Amino acid sequence: MGRSVKKGPYVEESLLKKIEGQNARNEKRVVKTWSRASTIVPDMVGHTIAVHDGRRHVPIYISEEMVGHKLGEFAPTRTFKGHADKSERSTGMR
Amino acid sequence: MWPGHVMIGQVTSPFGIDGSLKVYLTTDFPERLLGLKNVTVDRLGESRPVMKSRLQPPMAVIQLAGITTREQAETLRGALLMVPEADLPKLAPDEYYWHQLVGMAVVEEGTGRLLGELAHVLRTGAGHDVFEVARDGKKPLLIPALKSVIKRVSLGERTMTVELLPGLEEITE
Repeated sequence: MGRSVKKGPYVEESLLKKIEGQNARNEKRVVKTWSRASTIVPDMVGHTIAVHDGRRHVPIYISEEMVGHKLGEFAPTRTFKGHADKSERSTGMR
Repeated sequence: MWPGHVMIGQVTSPFGIDGSLKVYLTTDFPERLLGLKNVTVDRLGESRPVMKSRLQPPMAVIQLAGITTREQAETLRGALLMVPEADLPKLAPDEYYWHQLVGMAVVEEGTGRLLGELAHVLRTGAGHDVFEVARDGKKPLLIPALKSVIKRVSLGERTMTVELLPGLEEITE
C-alpha cells in the first residue's frame, strides 16, 4: 500500500532543514546524508546530495526528472566492476 | 585483456545445441553487435567470423565460425569477446570511453593541485556518472561527471581538470 497523500512525501527532517537553509542563503554546498529513503522534493533540484551507499557517500546532482523518486535509487549498493574499465562503455559530461 | 582491444561482452553459457553462446554485453552500443563481422575471443587467441547474432538485452546470443557443438561452446564459458579500439563508434564531443579516462591524472583548477588518479567510473542511474579518484593515503574522492565540475579533459596529456564543488572533499573524510 502506498503512503497516505495526507502526510506528504517522506523527507528526513535534518536533510530538509539543510536544503532549505542553503536555499535561503542561496548557497550550493554538497550535503551528506544517510537517508536513502527520503523522497526527492522540488526544493532539492540543483543541489548535489552525497547519498550513502553503505560504504561511502556518492555525490548525486539532483535534476527535475528525479523529483518523486527516493535518494537511494541513485546510489547503487552493489557495484560490479569486472572488466568495465576496458569495455565499450562511455560517459558524457552532463 | 588484449592490448589495443576493448571488451564488448563476456560469454556466460552455451545456448542451444548448435554451438551458440549466450553473452553478457558490456557495450553501450549493443545494436552494433548485429552488424559485427569478426570478434576476437581471448580464450581462442584469435579473431573469428560471427555467423549469426541476436539481441536479448542485456544479453545477446552469438554464433562464431568453427564453434558448432554445445561441447565446444562449453569451453568458452567466461571467455571475453573483444573488438579493436580502432573500430569503436565515434562519440559526441564531451563524451569519452571509460578506458580513455581511467588512469588520468585529476588536477584541481586554479591551484593546479594533483588530486589523484581516476580509478573507476561508477554508473549511478542519476543521469550522470561518478568518477572515483584514487588518492595517496586517503579515501578515494568521488566526483560527479558534470560539466560544471569537469572543466577540461586532455586525452593527449592524460589530465582532467576539475573544479570541486564546495564541501565535496569533506564528504570523504
